[in-house]
Amino acid sequence: MTGYIIRRVIQAIIVTLIVSIITFLLLHLVPGGEVRAILGIKASPEQIRVYSKEWGFDQPLYVQYGKWLWQLLHGNFGFDIKYNAPVSTLMITALPRTLVLAIIGTGVGLLIGVPLGIFQAVRRYSVVDHVVTGIGFVGYGSPTFFIGLMLIQWFAIDLHIFPAEAPQATSLGGILSDPIALVLPVATYAFVAFALWSRFMRSSVLDNIVQDYVRTARAKGASETRVLWGHIFRNSLITIVTLLGLQLPVVLAGSLFIEYVFNYPGMGLLFYNAALNTDIQLLLAITVLSTVLTIVGNLLADIGYAMLDPRVRYS
Amino acid sequence: MGMGAPHPETTVDPLGAGLLVTEETGVAPAGTGPAAKPRSMFRRGWEVFAENKLALVGLGFVIFIFLFSFVGPLIYKTQQTLVTLNDAYCAPNAHHLLGCDQLGYDIIGRLMVGGQNSLTVGLAAAFVACLFGSIYGAVSGFAGGIVDTLLMRLVDAMLSIPFIFVLIILAVLVHPSRLTMIGFIAIIYWPGPARLVRGETLSLRTREYVAAVKVAGGSSRRAVLRHVMPNAIGTIIVQATFAVADSILILASLGFIGFGIQEPQTDWGAMLSNGLNYLPLGYWWMIYPAGLMIIATVVAVNFVGDALRDAFETRLQRR
Amino acid sequence: MAPLLEITDLRTEIKLREGVVHAVDGVTLGVAQGETLGIVGESGCGKTMTALSIINLLPTGGHIAAGSIALDGQEISSLSEENMRHIRGNEIGMIFQDPLTSLNPTMTVGRQISEVVRLHRDVTKEQAMDRAAEVLDLVGIPRVRERIKEYPHQFSGGMRQRVMIAMALACEPKLLIADEPTTALDVTIQKQILELIDDLRLRLGMSVILVTHDLGVIAGRADRVAVMYAGKISEITDTETLFTRPRHPYTEALFQALPDKAAEAGERLYSIPGLPPDLVHPPAGCRFAARCRYATDRCRTEEPPLAGEVAGHEFRCFYPVGPSERTATGRLASYGASAPAEERETPEIGDTLLDVSHLVKDYAVTKGAVLQRRVGWLSAVADVNFTIRAGETFGLVGESGCGKSTIGKLVVGLEKPTSGSISFEGKDLSKSSAREYRRERRNIQLMFQDSYASLDPRMRAGTLLREPLVIQGIGTREEQREKVGEMLDKVGLPRSAADRYPHEFSGGQRQRLGFARALMLNPQLIVADEPVSALDVSIQAQVLNMMKELQRDLGLTYLFISHDLGVVRYLSEKIGVMYLGKLVEVGPAEEVYLRPAHPYTRGLLDSAPVADPEAEKAKVSEGVRGELPSAIHPPSGCRFRTRCPRAQAICADAEPPMTPFAGEGHLAACHFPLEIPVGAPLETATTASE
Repeated sequence: MTGYIIRRVIQAIIVTLIVSIITFLLLHLVPGGEVRAILGIKASPEQIRVYSKEWGFDQPLYVQYGKWLWQLLHGNFGFDIKYNAPVSTLMITALPRTLVLAIIGTGVGLLIGVPLGIFQAVRRYSVVDHVVTGIGFVGYGSPTFFIGLMLIQWFAIDLHIFPAEAPQATSLGGILSDPIALVLPVATYAFVAFALWSRFMRSSVLDNIVQDYVRTARAKGASETRVLWGHIFRNSLITIVTLLGLQLPVVLAGSLFIEYVFNYPGMGLLFYNAALNTDIQLLLAITVLSTVLTIVGNLLADIGYAMLDPRVRYS
Repeated sequence: MGMGAPHPETTVDPLGAGLLVTEETGVAPAGTGPAAKPRSMFRRGWEVFAENKLALVGLGFVIFIFLFSFVGPLIYKTQQTLVTLNDAYCAPNAHHLLGCDQLGYDIIGRLMVGGQNSLTVGLAAAFVACLFGSIYGAVSGFAGGIVDTLLMRLVDAMLSIPFIFVLIILAVLVHPSRLTMIGFIAIIYWPGPARLVRGETLSLRTREYVAAVKVAGGSSRRAVLRHVMPNAIGTIIVQATFAVADSILILASLGFIGFGIQEPQTDWGAMLSNGLNYLPLGYWWMIYPAGLMIIATVVAVNFVGDALRDAFETRLQRR
Repeated sequence: MAPLLEITDLRTEIKLREGVVHAVDGVTLGVAQGETLGIVGESGCGKTMTALSIINLLPTGGHIAAGSIALDGQEISSLSEENMRHIRGNEIGMIFQDPLTSLNPTMTVGRQISEVVRLHRDVTKEQAMDRAAEVLDLVGIPRVRERIKEYPHQFSGGMRQRVMIAMALACEPKLLIADEPTTALDVTIQKQILELIDDLRLRLGMSVILVTHDLGVIAGRADRVAVMYAGKISEITDTETLFTRPRHPYTEALFQALPDKAAEAGERLYSIPGLPPDLVHPPAGCRFAARCRYATDRCRTEEPPLAGEVAGHEFRCFYPVGPSERTATGRLASYGASAPAEERETPEIGDTLLDVSHLVKDYAVTKGAVLQRRVGWLSAVADVNFTIRAGETFGLVGESGCGKSTIGKLVVGLEKPTSGSISFEGKDLSKSSAREYRRERRNIQLMFQDSYASLDPRMRAGTLLREPLVIQGIGTREEQREKVGEMLDKVGLPRSAADRYPHEFSGGQRQRLGFARALMLNPQLIVADEPVSALDVSIQAQVLNMMKELQRDLGLTYLFISHDLGVVRYLSEKIGVMYLGKLVEVGPAEEVYLRPAHPYTRGLLDSAPVADPEAEKAKVSEGVRGELPSAIHPPSGCRFRTRCPRAQAICADAEPPMTPFAGEGHLAACHFPLEIPVGAPLETATTASE
């Protein structure tokens, strides 16, 4: 197993390097882009020339890459002129907020989706199965923002139960102490997650039910409940862990829309505002950070899988 | 390995093919039906597909949307470029069946325009992404070794980047139009099909019917072109179908936050973006029609994709 | 004494999309205390469904429609699910065919066994685990305390099956049902497992139901046998009677389709025409009538009842075959009214066609994170030498991992040898240019094992058959089509088959297609890799007969690769026995079979079940003990020494050379062979056979 883990870690590092190169190239593809990224799109050619020299953007590409990478590794993502703060500070304040909401939301979705999916598999083709599948399809096909919109329309505007905005507090404690305002954004995350997880669990359990080892368990005299939880669920769990790790980029992408709709000051909204302001430096920084998080998430998922599946652990 | 276990011989005459000529005497044994027409793979696949009612509904709806978007404007003519503020915000009435938006454009007309854009971009982006991705994946799968490793690392890298971020960055750097939209979506989407096709290629490569070509003296190229590729087409087609659905969603999402297709062109997402401002005022016709169009189209395409996947699987696994 | 299990008129149905399959259609049988009942039949006959019905573990859509099943006098077919659970694993234990997929891969072996104990006994976790250890020891797992914490994939195939047996026996059931328990295992391991089951039956006073398609297994292990066909029992009696005095034509036909018997008698295989009937719409009258050579109109309209003249022997036939005479040698002559089996012809043998010399194939074993480092070699073929003459059939036999399939691939050109040479008609194949190589492909062709995987499912049969011609650029389209038609005729398929897709054929028909494809280029040598392993006995006979006939007609030479000694013996003039990459013995088929010189060959012959109860009883040796060593680190010196009862110190130091024995071209590599080598001085004949 250690061989497996080492191999995965090395792969992850290589992938991260490639990502850094891609991101770097994106920035430097457009002539003068690096300068524009800092000064703004409307910088004049004169300014570009002056600052290129001053900030060292006229040096050969690989030198710049080296310096940039070095800085990144030290947590220095540059300085943002518009916000007048280091980029890293901006991200560090925004990221936890995004994560909190995303984790709670996805967690709720999991808690509902997994048992429902299992139930669907056991009661295949029943009315409940079809209804849940139908809802799931809608969840799949609806853009995240639309779900958020609908929730706002129905529950905030029409019924006045929940506020239309997510908690605006800046500290995590503040956010968590306003649970009513959290309900709708969490529900949006949860709905999308539920659609995915219920569908996945249903097919995973169904795949397992027809396996030979289930027949053996029954031949031993185990009850259906025991077969389901003692045998099938354990095996499905392994794939849940892997899938969980792969969900990170999807969740981060979704966060952009949810934060936009609910006006929640997380990284998604930060990104959106940066895009409005054509603040390329910030845009790229957020992208790099998100990517690194995704890679780490995948790596953890793979390691988790290796630890849970005895066939990999002892090979 | 180990002892060859007998495969369960079907006791039902396989597909009534009527091929139960006794091996020795040439006489069909009692109890079998008359010879049936040879069923091509395509026909069998279609039969399985057609059994799935949802898929038929989905297919029907997709065809309807096409006609609606492209043929519709010829029948239901509306003004889509000139702003008529007189009609702005009008609720559904006899002239404008679903009302108007803030610039006086007829909503149904907007939906048609949006449909044209969504469908065109969706299809084109899916096509380009799948074409490129499939070739990339096939090359990687065949080359194997270090080439495969490197190519796949690139795919991994691209799959790690949350796609929406790249999309927006591209939209910021380059002015969005229909063409650029197609390009952007294709750029971020191709790694998915690439990985899938590579997996498929790897698995098909080891099939015995590929070895059979070699035994007869055939080249690897022949094995690839005439045996591996046709068998991989199934996966690619299914993948492409889902790609269309995803592309439509992506485009709508972009449009919603204002980075998609710009006025006077529009897509359903942009329509929603507009409508958002008027939510508190209760102008439901500016939101629900567009939203429902998105959902319905994407779900319909997903139905078709699911059914296609089932159809291809049975074809290949039927014994 | 009342029987332990009584099944009366059992009917089991399975609801499928195309209709209701009457899988078990009126089965009546009983199992006495402490006896082994064999249920034998080909695929689809209903034997597995009968077994599953006993514990009511039918697949989706299946249910017991009628009949009664009584265990120790208590009716169990209509028990509630909850009550049935008390029986499963507790009073009736069951083991299945494939131990790898039948065990939960993510649970330790110990936990899986203790689970069954805790389900039925009121014990603590520790006590259950102790019982698990006890029972693992009982089935012969070494180092129990360590291995009890391991996972199924860490065990070999034979060991896994032992684990399954342990699990089934942990609660000391009264009845053990074994569904094809050894089909997925090598022959030598098979014998070990069957011995184990027998041994445990005696020790624990159990009864056993042995479900299998292998008549040889039945001959050696069962006390009574029920032969099933198309959902019904066609004949039931005690083992000895069944094999010496069968009454049902199906049973008789089965025996005549077995290669073992035909080989000995020098007869041609009798192949049963057609396929089993459709069980969704079963035919009226006798189910076997359509394929029976003695069938009359009465048979086709009226169904014969299961009845018999002698107590304990029942059969379902109006015109049973007469009792046979046992000849002086104790072998069976042909039966009453049946047509005498045809004599086999001796083929014409020519000069050496294929010469394999010092053939070596190693596969690299790699490890490593990013860059794959080679850490070792897997020795698949290690210095193999043999020749095949024109018109001959050379049978290459051995168990899994012995390298016979690899040799097939090397001869056909799918793999390149690491060293050594393969010469065809005197010309070394490895020395050909690319162009020559392609032409040479015409001479040697391959018939695959799994015809389903070797036929592209998207192409029609005609196109698949034409492809070799297209690749080699032979003939116009019309000519190619004509040739395809000819070949289809030769292999006994209708010309209309060319328009069909592979999935529309049955297994036997697909093998014929595969063979036809191999013939398209008019090769001289055909390598057949396990061509009949996946087929039922009756279908197997059809294909083997076809191969024999075409060999004679077209003057073909075969390299026949198989693990089935009976089949190899029937077909081959010469046999080569392989073990772990080495050719341990080679020689004329009859010589190797009757007077093997190598201990492994002897062990293999002893382990392979033969459809003759007396012969089975006469086997005294224990077959081959132990497990197959790793091919990456094969034993030094003689590779077989770790499992050989005659091994001495020298066997580890020096690899034994090939020495000649009685019989033309009979060679074996052993320091202490079972026969006296040719030319050995009499004083050193301490190595006399037993």
